[in-house]
Amino acid sequence: MFEFLFKYPLSIYRQGTFIFLAGWPLWLMGLGVLVAAGVLGFLIWRQGSGSSRMGVVRRASVWVLQTALAFLLLFLIWHPALSVSTLKPQQNIVAVVIDDSTSMTTDDENSTRKEAAEKVLNGGLLKALQEKFQVRLYRMSDHAERIDKLEQLTAGATATHIGESLKQVAADASSLPIGAMILLSDGSDNTGGVDLETLSEIRRQRIPVHTIGLGRETMSRDVEISNVDVSARALPESRLGATVSFHQHGYTGQKAKITLREGSKVVASQDVTLKAEGTEQVETVLFNAGDAGVKTLEASIDPFPNEENPRNNRVTRLVNVDPRKPKILYMEGEPRWEFKFLRRAVEDDHTLHLYSILRTAPNKIYRQEQEDGKQGLTNINELKDGFPTKVEDLFGFDGLVFGSVDAPYLTKNQQDMVKQFVDRRGGGVLFLGGKDSLSDGGWAKSAAADILPTTLPERKNTYSFAGADVELTPEGRDSLITRIEEDPNKNVERWKKLPYIRTFQDPGDPKLGAVVLANFVPREGGGAKRPLLVTMNYGRGRTAIFATGGSWRWQMLQPLADMSHEMFYRQLLRWVVSDTPRHITGSTPKSLLADESHVKLRAEVRDKTYLPAGDATVEAHITGEGIPPEVVNMTPEPLEQGVYGADWTAPKAGSYYVEVVAKRAAEELGTDTFTFRREDGIAENFHVEQNRELLQKLSAETGGSYYKPADAQKLGKDINYSQAGITVRETRDLWDMPAIFLLFLGIRAAEWLLRRRWGVI
Amino acid sequence: MRLRTFFLILLAVLGAWGVLLAQKPFKQYPGGEDGDIPLPPDYQKPAEWVSARLRYRDAFGRRFRGFRSEGAWATDYPLGDRHLIIGVQRLTRIHARSVEQTVELDGSDDLYNWPFLYAVEVGQWTIDEKEGAQLRDFLDRGGFLMVDDFHGLDQWEIFAEGIHQVYPDRQIEDLEASEPIFHILADVDPKVQVAGLAALYRGRTYEQASDPYPRWRAIYDGKKRIVVAICHNMDLGDAWEHSDEASYPADMAIVAHRALQNYAMYDLTH
Repeated sequence: MFEFLFKYPLSIYRQGTFIFLAGWPLWLMGLGVLVAAGVLGFLIWRQGSGSSRMGVVRRASVWVLQTALAFLLLFLIWHPALSVSTLKPQQNIVAVVIDDSTSMTTDDENSTRKEAAEKVLNGGLLKALQEKFQVRLYRMSDHAERIDKLEQLTAGATATHIGESLKQVAADASSLPIGAMILLSDGSDNTGGVDLETLSEIRRQRIPVHTIGLGRETMSRDVEISNVDVSARALPESRLGATVSFHQHGYTGQKAKITLREGSKVVASQDVTLKAEGTEQVETVLFNAGDAGVKTLEASIDPFPNEENPRNNRVTRLVNVDPRKPKILYMEGEPRWEFKFLRRAVEDDHTLHLYSILRTAPNKIYRQEQEDGKQGLTNINELKDGFPTKVEDLFGFDGLVFGSVDAPYLTKNQQDMVKQFVDRRGGGVLFLGGKDSLSDGGWAKSAAADILPTTLPERKNTYSFAGADVELTPEGRDSLITRIEEDPNKNVERWKKLPYIRTFQDPGDPKLGAVVLANFVPREGGGAKRPLLVTMNYGRGRTAIFATGGSWRWQMLQPLADMSHEMFYRQLLRWVVSDTPRHITGSTPKSLLADESHVKLRAEVRDKTYLPAGDATVEAHITGEGIPPEVVNMTPEPLEQGVYGADWTAPKAGSYYVEVVAKRAAEELGTDTFTFRREDGIAENFHVEQNRELLQKLSAETGGSYYKPADAQKLGKDINYSQAGITVRETRDLWDMPAIFLLFLGIRAAEWLLRRRWGVI
Repeated sequence: MRLRTFFLILLAVLGAWGVLLAQKPFKQYPGGEDGDIPLPPDYQKPAEWVSARLRYRDAFGRRFRGFRSEGAWATDYPLGDRHLIIGVQRLTRIHARSVEQTVELDGSDDLYNWPFLYAVEVGQWTIDEKEGAQLRDFLDRGGFLMVDDFHGLDQWEIFAEGIHQVYPDRQIEDLEASEPIFHILADVDPKVQVAGLAALYRGRTYEQASDPYPRWRAIYDGKKRIVVAICHNMDLGDAWEHSDEASYPADMAIVAHRALQNYAMYDLTH
């Protein structure tokens, strides 16, 4: 329709520049319009002044229409045109890039996408192009490769990297007159899209990329796992959540089963009801991390019998179950039941190593150590002077718990160390409620006030020896800390049935970024609901407030076999320490390389006091199945102090083990290990629907157009207009476009109709 | 019966049941050994730690003997309790309530609200199977029982019969002087025999010649933690009760207070 009215396609208007060919100045046209408006106004006023049927409004309407007509005539006299840049025939190259990945074998009811691409090209487009240009054919996989004829296409490549491929073709343009690119693809890119760098490179060269979208935009019957999010590191025997995101077409309301497997062993499964068509559904499946070691975890949704693509129903992830035993220091200011029952709750958790300092009398402390169920200090001098006074001693712990301890019991320096423990060290701190805790203990004015997840009330007497019921918030419903029942809904009900807590404390209001997992409601006095369990990330670490000293009733007032109290405290303390980094933290952005070989290695290096070590020598020792061990030097990242990086290519599919070693002169700062895995032949199983959005964006950003296969033959004409390659400027007349003729007719017809209605013809 | 009356009765029944299940309020029994003594002004002020006293049935199955006469459980009551609490308040950082709490093995949940439990004159107690099961449940969940003021072999037998209802399969063991429970807060010499006033009047430190020596004993749980602390052939209750009297030996009073504070501290840390 646009082309019918305006004579040329929209793309020409986008590329071209509007000009007047008459060569007369524009102000003259403006003057002409003014003169015409004045003369017309005078004549119409005179003509109508004697007629009762031509009032002021009617005369003004006629004047506007006639002035518009005069303007239109002047506009045409000035000779409007488009100046466009067109490709010189036979002197330019058009690059035709054809997706050759396995997703092109997807059967879209009548034919495969590969067949559809061939049909478009052989249906006249290729011939039309060859008549005017030299045509270079490329097959696209994770790179672009030149081919001579369409028969060389196999649709067998295991990956599609559109950005990388276009970048390669664009690179040819620096030595060849490439005037335009045509991309035939389903847009199923394994890297997640075209990066900005590639887009700007193509834009810089002014090469329009025209895209022809192949394949259906939605499948008829398919379930696809779009992502599985699971912690890359975990403590042994810890409870983890695998967040499985998926969508479906054709199975709304039906039941499906999500299964987590480690090898052939099923570690967890969950039945779900499929939500609305195309909706991204997110379900969390809980499982036990098990013993130390690297776990290859596969999340799958059982395929339906008639599913079109069952290959996208499974996704693999790696979990490194770290054998370390995080050390927690529990500082308690008074002998109380919460101290006893917290220690008991975690005594059988063999992954936690708990130290405690208890103030038993005004000038006495009692130290305890609890590891592997054993009690008693292994080093009699450990913590003999009470709470550590040196950074190196305090930072040797992974987590801290403060019970009913008033802030002034710690020196300003110690309070600041607690803050640095979270911010710099990356440790976790849990504050419990108590008569000397939080506001009542003066923490609001302490050097560590910033790390608290709430803004403490300014008043005292916030701690009450009175009962309160507990309820989970929506965030608490999904949190692993508060999960004492597998089923989220049952969990909410379970929390409601817990015995009331013996004491509670108003922790104030949550800070920005804090998450309230549970609230308490006082049983007497009509007190309002207040936060009970609040968590927050601060700096590199995390903090939490559990605003009671009376959760011990969950142990004493429930049957012995009930493990809710134990589970809660174990999960809470594991949360406190599980993400606490060591001096060296090695990682890679992707632990699973799906049909990719390039891997980025990263190491964050800190010295003994956890300050960034920018002067370290960092090496990555890589070992893999069937390859000789390799040492890769990691170099400092310019913008991040203490961070080192390296690029490496995994030569073949399999698991790789990386040990990062950091040294400063002869001193070893530490080591860390992580794993990644390369898997081939899986990336193309996902996102098999046509990614029209990506293709449209790509063409829009580069000055090209998106075409459906049915309209693709138009490209033979549209492709002429380009600013790349060898071009010539041409002008295209606009005076004779149908839209102007219709406008002319419309103005005259409107005046005639109005006059007829008024009876003044 | 009118509907309104029915609902009122139902409400009263539910209320009574609720009280039975919930934490019971403080009550001072009038027939204790020390009679009615004034309550401390802050007796209603709640606190973290409360010394609970077990109101058990005696050998005749009674908790009280008649009008204003409670049973053997009320020996040294309530002055002994009040004095031991003052000691705890003064010499430790335990936030202790100024009055004790009397609890019973009545099948209600009240017992579980008071994890530190003291029982006196257990040479006269009677524990049936049901009571034994509840006491075992209390201890297994994390409670602690200290027994005191029973003497000689005959009373030992009665105590043993009762504790057998609680733990039929656990041994009663003598405590070594090196046990942490004797040193956790202050050092206690287990060779000291804390004597009752009656024995002291007779010029000796024991009450029954059948077994005249101090026996500091205990029952451990599966993790080698003391859950029942046994003070046999001693009368710590008398020592607390009379620790403000010049006639009572100060060295014994000191040991009695230190032992109690150690036991309470041990309970709160293990």
